[in-house]
Amino acid sequence: MASRRPASYSVDLGLIFLIGAVVVGLHLGRSSLRPYDAPELDPRPALLPLYLLYSLARLAVAYLLAVGLALVTGQLAARSPFARRLILPTLDVLQSVPILGFFPLAVGFFIGIFHGSALGVEMAAVFLIFTSMFWNLAFGVYESLITLPEELALAAGQFGLRGSLRWTRLILPAVVPSLLYNSLVSWANGWYFLIASEIIAVGPARYTLPGLGSYLAQAVTVGRNHETVLALGVLIATTVGMHLLLWGPLQIWAERFHFEESGDRPRTPRMARVLGRSRLVRWLTRTVVAPAGQEAIAAAGKLLGMWGASGWWGGAFALLLPASLLVAVFKLYGLFVSRPASPELAGIPVDLLLSLVRVALGVVVSAAVSIPLAWALARSTRVRGAAMAVIQILASIPATAFFPLIVILLRWGIGMNAAAVLLALTTMFWYVLFNVAGAAYAIPKQMDEAALGLGLRGRRYLRRVFVPAVLPSLITGCVTAWGAGWNAMILCEYLEAGRRVYQVRGIGATLDRATYVTGDMQVVAASLASMVLLIILVNRSVWDPVYRRVAERYKMEA
Amino acid sequence: MASPASVAAPAALLRLEGVEQFYGQKIRILGPIDLEMREAEFLSLVGPSGCGKSTLLRIVAGVLTPTVGTVRMGGRPLKDVNTRAAMVFQSFALFPWLKVVDNVAVGLESRGLPPRERLKKAQKYIDLVGLSGYERAYPRELSRGMKQLVGLARALAVEPELLCMDEPFSALDVLTARTMRELVLDLWASPVVMTKSILLVTHSIEEAVAMSDRVVVLKANPGRIADEVDLRGLPRPRRPDLPQVRETVDRMYALLA
Ligand SMILES: Nc1ncnc2c1ncn2[C@@H]1O[C@H](COP(=O)(O)OP(=O)(O)OP(=O)(O)O)[C@@H](O)[C@H]1O
Ligand SMILES: [Mg+2]
Repeated sequence: MASRRPASYSVDLGLIFLIGAVVVGLHLGRSSLRPYDAPELDPRPALLPLYLLYSLARLAVAYLLAVGLALVTGQLAARSPFARRLILPTLDVLQSVPILGFFPLAVGFFIGIFHGSALGVEMAAVFLIFTSMFWNLAFGVYESLITLPEELALAAGQFGLRGSLRWTRLILPAVVPSLLYNSLVSWANGWYFLIASEIIAVGPARYTLPGLGSYLAQAVTVGRNHETVLALGVLIATTVGMHLLLWGPLQIWAERFHFEESGDRPRTPRMARVLGRSRLVRWLTRTVVAPAGQEAIAAAGKLLGMWGASGWWGGAFALLLPASLLVAVFKLYGLFVSRPASPELAGIPVDLLLSLVRVALGVVVSAAVSIPLAWALARSTRVRGAAMAVIQILASIPATAFFPLIVILLRWGIGMNAAAVLLALTTMFWYVLFNVAGAAYAIPKQMDEAALGLGLRGRRYLRRVFVPAVLPSLITGCVTAWGAGWNAMILCEYLEAGRRVYQVRGIGATLDRATYVTGDMQVVAASLASMVLLIILVNRSVWDPVYRRVAERYKMEA
Repeated sequence: MASPASVAAPAALLRLEGVEQFYGQKIRILGPIDLEMREAEFLSLVGPSGCGKSTLLRIVAGVLTPTVGTVRMGGRPLKDVNTRAAMVFQSFALFPWLKVVDNVAVGLESRGLPPRERLKKAQKYIDLVGLSGYERAYPRELSRGMKQLVGLARALAVEPELLCMDEPFSALDVLTARTMRELVLDLWASPVVMTKSILLVTHSIEEAVAMSDRVVVLKANPGRIADEVDLRGLPRPRRPDLPQVRETVDRMYALLA
């Protein structure tokens, strides 16, 4: 997880920019909305491999875009203080925005550009997946570049590494570990949003892209259980397969890019350490992944070297933000002042409060379940390595896959309120558990032994040793879960399944209704903006201070 | 005995003219400094911690532009990275993801040498520092002393006129540091190595006396030249237990106190 950065008031700048971007998107998007005639997907299971391929292609394109832009932005922010002041706050705000809420706007925008053709819908889907993958990658690049050992950067300069050579010899290798680590998160996000992005509805118009996500969604909506299970199977098999055959070998390969820490073992992620025992994985690493990785670094270096050669690009890129800000303010003014206010606007504060309660509940439950679970996992030395690998893989299964389960529960009558929280929990819980378990495993052996010597056992051990030790990671996990929770609200306060609409009052439902049913852009903009404001407000006034205090008090001395 | 002008003092290789370094608007951490270094001279900079030795060295290497003043290399003002100099770092600053041979060749690569010549030259300097057989090893597999040997080979491989070293031996144990000092002096005297001018930053007076032709003593706040000691009269090799060497070391401690 990207670590928390200290608060900065220039965030407000990014915030205004963000609202502006929404409104610009609105304006452009509305100009020419024509439904793209999409027939229902052919439900024959034999077509599933083809659909999977489509989906993978979308994810891959979005991922490559995200990595490329993350490298450029991260490097720019690390290198130029001017660019840093514009880029960091903007990224910080944008990453706390519930992406799903922006989806209809993006769709409108791209369909507008491509005059309602399938290409526009395709681009919109890729763009959405891209936004779910980008932020953590960019922060990862930035953070690994500013923590580059000073003398190494000096050496690169003194020995004349510039342009492509600087990228291939210094920057790219230095960011590989963080890029890989964040890629796991990004792909998990990507799968999550893929399912939402292949079926697109704006107002009365409905667009369907052929893919695994749309297949699954259609099967759930129409209520075809057999196909639902099949699609889920393919989805889970693919994510697990990618872990075993792609990310595992890549992480083993990336060991060489870690900086040494004296005395420590190499910081190989647990999953890779477990996988590294497999012959097949080792063979894959040696013969396929390592050479391909080297090639990729060389090729990317050449490309990025050309970009870096013209320095004014950076300036233009950084200036783009304030420019769009101006346009945005103007558009926002137009949207709210020139038209009578929609009556639904008055209900937004209550909607917001209801959703806030749900998200907060999700965070509390995640934390409450994660702590004892992580404790149990950390205590059993025999399963801990494998358990962590399993958690990592499970966490990468998109929560949208649990969707059908919730629908079944709904049919049994658990009530929409509980279902919404449950569905949100399927995403939120993993973030917390993953972080807490990681920290629990890292508790030094001497500390455990000392605690034992002092007679700290059971509950007292939990209170005096375990909880303080995992607290910083617990907070990090909760912050991430909190952000994910808002996305989940948009997804699960308003459900369409088996040709029925299930909904519960909340900001997500209001937003969904405005986008899918009424098409009232005032409500869309207002609910989005209020949600973003609330998220940022809570981040600044609750999470940031809490994290800082906890990090100060409970940090393990190195 | 009067000598003809042409045989007189060799031309200045490096000249610092009124060099000052500021941090922020107001805080001057270094300068003004005027310093001249002759061709084929071994010059050491000593001084208390934080007096700006590393800063000065970075200015000479061209990776830091002084706030005020000019650096001249062979008479021409330095505008960019000093390509006629190469640097050895205290923390070795090796690329952990490159094999020894690629680390050594990094400067040659950026100077546009074709791969075959790069390899040949890298091999030559790997052999010279005594690391033959370790070409394919990664830095993490080497001891600290061997890492610094790679750092030294990397700097020498670009055949710089000036070798800058920032406390190159202070991260090594005593025995390894002594071996390394002797190696540097041997290479300096060897006809195979092109580099004949060395600028060494150290906080060990013994090291400065054992190695250099001239020692420049800096004082802190802001970093300025406090004194200069000419050691050309001191015969080499300078074993530390020789009375002449001991006396010089004592004299310099007195100077710094
Ligand atoms: N980025 C910076 N910002 C502010 N002050 C700095 C910065 N870098 C260095 N300094 C200051 O400049 C002074 C000189 O630093 P420098 O590293 O050159 O000293 P040094 O003589 O090499 O010290 P040492 O013997 O500890 O290596 C120090 O007082 C240091 O605090
Ligand atoms: Mg220093």
